[in-house]
Amino acid sequence: MLRVAVLRISMAVPILFGVSVIVFLLMNVLPGSAEASLVSDDMSAAERQAIRDELGLNDPLPLRYLHWLGDALQGNLGYSAQRRRDVSDLLMQAWGNTAVLALVSAVFGISLGLWLGYVAGTRRGTLIDRLTGVLSLSGLSIPSFFLAIILLAVFAGWLRLLPSGGANLDSGLLMALRSLVLPVLSGSLITMAITARVTRASIVDVAGADFVETLRAKGLSEWEVRRHILRNAISPVLTTSGVQIGALLGGSVLVETIFRWPGMGLLVFTAISARDLLVVQGATLVIAVTFVLLNLVVDLLQAWIDPRVRGAVS
Amino acid sequence: MTEAVVPTLLDKSFGAGTTAADRDEAARRRDEWNAARTSEQPQSFWQATLRRFATNKVGVVAAGIVLLLVLGAIFAPLLTSADPLIGKPLDRLQNVGSPGHLLGTDEQGRDMLARVLYGGRLSLLAGFVPTIGAALIGTAIGVTSGIMRGAVGTVLMRTMDMLYAFPAILLAIAVGASLGPGLTNTIIAVTIVFVPPVARVAESATRRVVVQEFVEAARLSGASTLRVARTQVLPNVLNDVIVYASGLVGVAMIIAASLSFLGLGSAPPAPEWGYMLNSLRGMVSVAPLVAIVPGFFIFLTSVAFNLASDALREAMDSRL
Repeated sequence: MLRVAVLRISMAVPILFGVSVIVFLLMNVLPGSAEASLVSDDMSAAERQAIRDELGLNDPLPLRYLHWLGDALQGNLGYSAQRRRDVSDLLMQAWGNTAVLALVSAVFGISLGLWLGYVAGTRRGTLIDRLTGVLSLSGLSIPSFFLAIILLAVFAGWLRLLPSGGANLDSGLLMALRSLVLPVLSGSLITMAITARVTRASIVDVAGADFVETLRAKGLSEWEVRRHILRNAISPVLTTSGVQIGALLGGSVLVETIFRWPGMGLLVFTAISARDLLVVQGATLVIAVTFVLLNLVVDLLQAWIDPRVRGAVS
Repeated sequence: MTEAVVPTLLDKSFGAGTTAADRDEAARRRDEWNAARTSEQPQSFWQATLRRFATNKVGVVAAGIVLLLVLGAIFAPLLTSADPLIGKPLDRLQNVGSPGHLLGTDEQGRDMLARVLYGGRLSLLAGFVPTIGAALIGTAIGVTSGIMRGAVGTVLMRTMDMLYAFPAILLAIAVGASLGPGLTNTIIAVTIVFVPPVARVAESATRRVVVQEFVEAARLSGASTLRVARTQVLPNVLNDVIVYASGLVGVAMIIAASLSFLGLGSAPPAPEWGYMLNSLRGMVSVAPLVAIVPGFFIFLTSVAFNLASDALREAMDSRL
C-alpha cells in the first residue's frame, strides 16, 4: 500500500506542473492578456512600457513562467487592480464557501445516486428502476442554471419557503443551511444522475458474475451476498466521484452566480465581467489543483478498498 | 477401390438424380440457389447498425426530434415571418399561446418562436461543431499515440492528461475568458475541452486493435504504418469514437449555453438559447412560461441527443 501511495503521489507531481503551465499559457499567450486589465487607452506609450517592465512582460516566456510559478508557490498570485486586494486574499476568503457548497452537494448527490443506482441495479425492470432511468436522463440533460432558475421561481418566488440567496456561512447556521438547499439541489442533480447510472451499470455487471453464484451456493445470506456485490461494484463509482466533485467545483461558477453565494465561482464571474484576468487565473489554478489532489485521494482510496487496483500498480 | 477424382468445378452433369431429367431439375435448382446468393448484398457494418437502430423506438423518436430541431433552425425564415431581433415594446411579455405569438414574446416584445428558431442555429452549431472538431482532432491524437508507442505517444497522452486535470466547465470558462466573448471563441473553448476525452477513447480502442492478428498480417504484407493506420486501425476505432462523440453533443450545447449565460457566448442581441435564458431570468415571476422556453429547448435537445446516443451505443453493440 505504501509503495502504491508513493507511486501515485509521484505521478501527481508532473500533472500539477502541467496544470500550472496550462493556466499560465491560457492567460499569457492568448489575446486577452493580463496587461489588458491594467493598461487603459489614454496611457502614453512610455507609461505602457513602464507597466510592461514592472510586470516583467518584456522577459522571455519561460522566464516569466518561472517567475510566476515561484510567486505562486509562495502564495502570491498577483494583485487585483479592480478589487484593490491581493488575489490570494480574495481566493482564501472564497475557497471555504465553495468547498462547503461543493462538499455538501457531493455528499448529497453521490449518496442519493448510490442508493438509487443500487436499488435500480438490484431490482431491474421494476418501476423504481425505470424512474431512476428517467431521473438520471433528466439530470444529465438539464443545465444546472436552468434548474436553479426553476427552483428559485418555485421555492423562493412562489412558495416563499427558502431564501433566494445572498447569504453565506457567516450569517448564522440556520440561515446558511436554508440558503444552501437550493444551490445544493441544482448543482447536485447531475452528480446524482451520473452516480446512479454508473452504480446501476456496475451492480448489474457484478451481480451477473460467477462468484456471486458461488457465494449463494456456499449458503451466504442475501444480505452478505449484497455486501460482496457492493464492495466489488464500488470501484467505478469511486472513480466518477472524484470527477463529479471536480465538476461541482467547476460548476460552482454558474450556481454561485445565480444564488449569489460568495465563493470562488462568484469571484470568477465578477472577474470575467471586469476583465480581471489575474483573479480568473488564480481561481482556475486553485480549483484545478484541488481537483488533482482530490483525484489523488480517490485513487488512494480505491487502492485501499480494492486489492486488484493495488496489484495493477505495483 | 479406385480413388474418385474430386471435381474442381461442379458441372451440370453432377448432382442428384439418375435420369437426365432429374439431373437437369437439380441443376436448375442449383443455379437458382447460386443466383439467390449472388444477388444477396453482404450487409455492411453500417447497414446492420442502421437496421438495429431502426428497431429501437425511443432512439428513432429521439433522432426525429433532433432532425426536426435542425430543420426548424435551417428553415427558420420560412417558418416564421417575425423578426428575432426587433420587437414591438407594446407587445412585451405576451404569454405562451397568445394570438400571433405561439411561444409568447420576450421582455423587449420580440417573438419567442422566431428567437427560438433562429437561436437554434447558434445553439445547435455550438453543439455540433466542437463535437465534430474534437472527434477529428482527438481521434488523430489518440490513434497516433496508440500506434506510435514510445516518446511521441507518451508526450501526446500526458499532455491530454494535463488538460484532463481541469473540470470541463472550468476549462471552457478559463479558455473563453482569455479568448473573450463570441460564438467562435465558445466553439474553440468547447473543442479544447472535448479533445482529451476523445483522444483517450481513441487511444484505448487503438491499443486494443493493434495487437490483433489482422493488423499484424497487414504489417507483414508490407503496408506502411500510415496505411495500416488508415485501412486497418481507423475503421475499427471509429465506432467507439462515434458512440462517444454522439453523447457529447448535448454536453457541448449545455457548456456553450453556460458560457453565454456567463456573458462569454455570442454577442447580444443574437438569440442564443443560453443568453435568452439569462436575459429572461428576471421575468420568471412575471411570465414564468415564457421565461422557461429557452431552457426547455436546451433540455429537449440535450435529452434527444442523449437518448439517440444510447440507442446508437446499443445498435453498435459498444461496451463503451
